[in-house]
Amino acid sequence: MIPEAWQFYIATLIVLYAVTLIAAFGLNLQYGVTGILNFGYAVPIGVGGYTAALLTLGPPQGRFQTYWFGLELPFPLPWLAAAAMGALVSLALGFIVAGRLRGDYQAIVLLAVSVIATRLVQVQKEIVNGGAGLANVPQPLRDFVDSSIAYQWLYVGLAVAVAGGTWFVVHRISRAPLGRALRAVRDSPEVAAALGKDVARLQLLVMAIGGAAGGLSGAMTAQYLTGWNPESWLLLVTFTYFTGIILGGAGNALGVAVGIALIPIGFREATRFLPAIGYPGLIEALQWVVIGLLALLVLWLRPAGIVPERVVAYEPTGRARWHIGRRGRS
Amino acid sequence: MLEILIASIGFGLITVSILSLASVGFTLQFSVTGVLNLAFADVMTLAGFTAWLLNDSLGLSIWATIPFAGIVAGLISVVLNRAILQPLLRRGTSVFGMLIATLALSLVLWNGLLAIVRPGFFFYDMPPVTVYRFLGQILTSNQLIFMGLAALALLSVHLILRRSKLGKAMRAVAANPDLARASGIPSRLVVDTAWFISGFLGGIAGVALFASLPAFDTSTARGLLVVILATVVLGGVGHVYGALAAAVVIGLSSEMVAALAAPQWRDVLALLILIGVLMIRPQGIVRDVSGGREVAAA
Repeated sequence: MIPEAWQFYIATLIVLYAVTLIAAFGLNLQYGVTGILNFGYAVPIGVGGYTAALLTLGPPQGRFQTYWFGLELPFPLPWLAAAAMGALVSLALGFIVAGRLRGDYQAIVLLAVSVIATRLVQVQKEIVNGGAGLANVPQPLRDFVDSSIAYQWLYVGLAVAVAGGTWFVVHRISRAPLGRALRAVRDSPEVAAALGKDVARLQLLVMAIGGAAGGLSGAMTAQYLTGWNPESWLLLVTFTYFTGIILGGAGNALGVAVGIALIPIGFREATRFLPAIGYPGLIEALQWVVIGLLALLVLWLRPAGIVPERVVAYEPTGRARWHIGRRGRS
Repeated sequence: MLEILIASIGFGLITVSILSLASVGFTLQFSVTGVLNLAFADVMTLAGFTAWLLNDSLGLSIWATIPFAGIVAGLISVVLNRAILQPLLRRGTSVFGMLIATLALSLVLWNGLLAIVRPGFFFYDMPPVTVYRFLGQILTSNQLIFMGLAALALLSVHLILRRSKLGKAMRAVAANPDLARASGIPSRLVVDTAWFISGFLGGIAGVALFASLPAFDTSTARGLLVVILATVVLGGVGHVYGALAAAVVIGLSSEMVAALAAPQWRDVLALLILIGVLMIRPQGIVRDVSGGREVAAA
């Protein structure tokens, strides 16, 4: 029998990996498949976390934390609501950028939205308790099992199931005719438009689907950690997702799974066991330096990632032919 | 109410001088290399901390540190461009890849500095001030000197761009790099000079920004990035004079908003301007028929 402390640790790792993967699949659908450089992806993640928190905390009471609204809804309603809110917010961002702006300007607008949304939430304390964030968020199905170890494994099951479901949805989309249209939008919006594809609508669609995945991931993270604050959805969070995705290989699920295992999860866990050197905050600062350097290295050495996306070409007969490796797109 | 608004013009002018330096620098980098440099604010920070180092440990007057800070920022910009951004571009890195690269650089510079100076708040040892009151404005002598320095720096840029061969070469590289090279313009040298100048401007902006606040930390200048982006877009990306005009508009209006509502609405205003301009008039306020089309999607 594995000691309890280790069980806790392993369960935590699996849950964090699974919930991160949910969001990463959503982001990969937007970036890797459709070519939207969504620097604002942390916004639906953040909204999802707050939605789940507000729908489980109950009405605001006492001076401990202030928020404008609260309900006590049973599982799984908060998660569904979080996915819906994530999709809605992401759709709103999509309406600003989709089809109107060239990709790099889309990225800049989304980046600006992300930065300012964080700052507003930090300053306007009455909405969701400002920079301190919401704490004591109830966990789903907590009364279902007695021991906390059993609950850990229950959450592992939930997280892995939802991650698998997200993978399935994204996988089906990217293999369907819709996926081919999305890749066409990514590779050349002009050509896609000339062939009669509605670029704006396709971009809006993946903004909504990706946003739902982000919202769900935020909700599951918030309820697992029982807290949610602006630090949980900084622009930096989006950046680590991007680093993981391009390291693994944008545009394919295996690449994303590998990249996410390496960067947000593996890297953080590997450095967790370092002796605490220097002043508080030194290790964290150095971690960001290394992550930034890693992103540059990937762009420099292997822009297609560890597991490059397979290129599919269609013969006149309709038969698909797969090629490993593609031109260095990043 | 009216008094607050009038008094905010003075603060607005301080913001205008910082913002115009930074936005002209940012837009100049884009015009000669096509790179939207998200690490620009962090180069400003490095310059501001160079000035802090000279000011705090060597006891140099803040005015004497400005040229050093400018040169350091200029050199860092040239090195970043030459050693990292240009090679990446030559390797065929896409526009998205370049944005991720500059964001990564920004993280490296910011956290590298943070690891060295440690988290905390810093301030300059500023010379004693005389307070001037005129036309409903309250400004200190230091603030007036910074405005004068900004005006001087921008005037120099104007003269370089319009009156010198170098400026002509820069405009040629901006308009068509291949044609410029084919015409015998040493485009690498021209690009280096342009990045040095823009880094220099950013450096002065960094010192001016930090000096305008009671205290600063390693992320202070990063907070200005969205406002810089909004200014550059309003001015028409790559247009130096547009950026200048946009800095006046955004600097003054944002201080008025901050005075009337709360400081955080300044950033919201910048965001709204950014979005509004891109949706309605993507070429910015410059009168340029061709410029805007590149911003819009197909």
